[in-house]
Amino acid sequence: MLRRWDLLTILGMAFVTYLTRVMGFWVLRRHTLGEKATIVLEAAPGCVLICVIAPVFATSRPSNLVALGLTVLAATRLPMLPTVAIGVSSAALLRHFFG
Amino acid sequence: MRNLRDKTEPAERAVNFGQFEMNALTSEGPERSKPRIAKSLSGPLSEVRRGALRIAPLLIGVAPFGLVLGAQAGQKGLSVVEVALMCGLNFAGGSEFVAIELWRNPPLLFLIVGMTFLVNSRHLLMGATLAPRMRTLSARRASLTLFFMADEIWAFGLEEARSRDQEYATGQLSLPYYAGLAAGLYGTWLISTTVGALVGPRVGNPQVLGLDMAFPAVFLVILKGLWKGHKAAIPWVVSLAVAVALHLSISGSWYVAGGTVAGLTVAYLFPGQKEC
Repeated sequence: MLRRWDLLTILGMAFVTYLTRVMGFWVLRRHTLGEKATIVLEAAPGCVLICVIAPVFATSRPSNLVALGLTVLAATRLPMLPTVAIGVSSAALLRHFFG
Repeated sequence: MRNLRDKTEPAERAVNFGQFEMNALTSEGPERSKPRIAKSLSGPLSEVRRGALRIAPLLIGVAPFGLVLGAQAGQKGLSVVEVALMCGLNFAGGSEFVAIELWRNPPLLFLIVGMTFLVNSRHLLMGATLAPRMRTLSARRASLTLFFMADEIWAFGLEEARSRDQEYATGQLSLPYYAGLAAGLYGTWLISTTVGALVGPRVGNPQVLGLDMAFPAVFLVILKGLWKGHKAAIPWVVSLAVAVALHLSISGSWYVAGGTVAGLTVAYLFPGQKEC
């Protein structure tokens, strides 16, 4: 099934992503980027990623907060799959026992 | 690790995204140890194979990401065709995770497209570093090559081209080798996300099972891969604080754009010392 707005959004994503891939090649190779612009470009992905998961941090439910803390801890020292396993299971268990 | 990183250009070093590529760059592929003569005698097909073999160990780490992404997309109501289309046409994992996390029915087109651009803005630097190594390619071939420039493919392609650097000649990108890299990653990404989308909707109530924590976990792991020291992380902290405040105070998805702009403003106004 394909809905119109879904399709438009997907095509829009594909378009801007391709734009970022070719623009650096065609445009930036002739001009060098300033230090500040480089720093902003480097910070951008992290800023977006952390904002997208901000609602998870905006909770006062204790079980969610503890699960989040455990997940952050896991992410700093474990690969992706164990981190997800710890995040998901701790959230499920804490919610089940402590509401 | 140290050696390899010291030799990289600042711009090249800057854009490492995700931890696979960082780990993978340090490990020596089995093909590397072969004598030089074997390499020069080999045709394009064996170059393709060499690229595919180089990226193969990485694919084991990529497939679970694809499964998680596809499953979540399926739970958000995207059809299998839509998931395959997104991953096949966009082919940039980080931005797809962002899009699915923000996905509503109907989706907020401008928010998702805008965030996609920001997450993928690092491609600008990556494309620029490849330019001197793609001088011999026609415009059409270059455009097609760049479509597949995902982080891992870029890193391995550049590494291989650099290994052929001579005193007065910049090593050029080996297209068949690059095609081997791209085929492996593209195929794995498309298949794993599609399989995830097929399985996702069959899973029970995500809240009860704690599955809503899967995405934040993935995001945190990606962030760790982007980590470049405490100072470079200050914009992230500002972004998070502003986004949380906005999320609590106004409804809608403004917290994403607001938090991002706040973090980027801090990065622009206070460009700290780089620590890597």
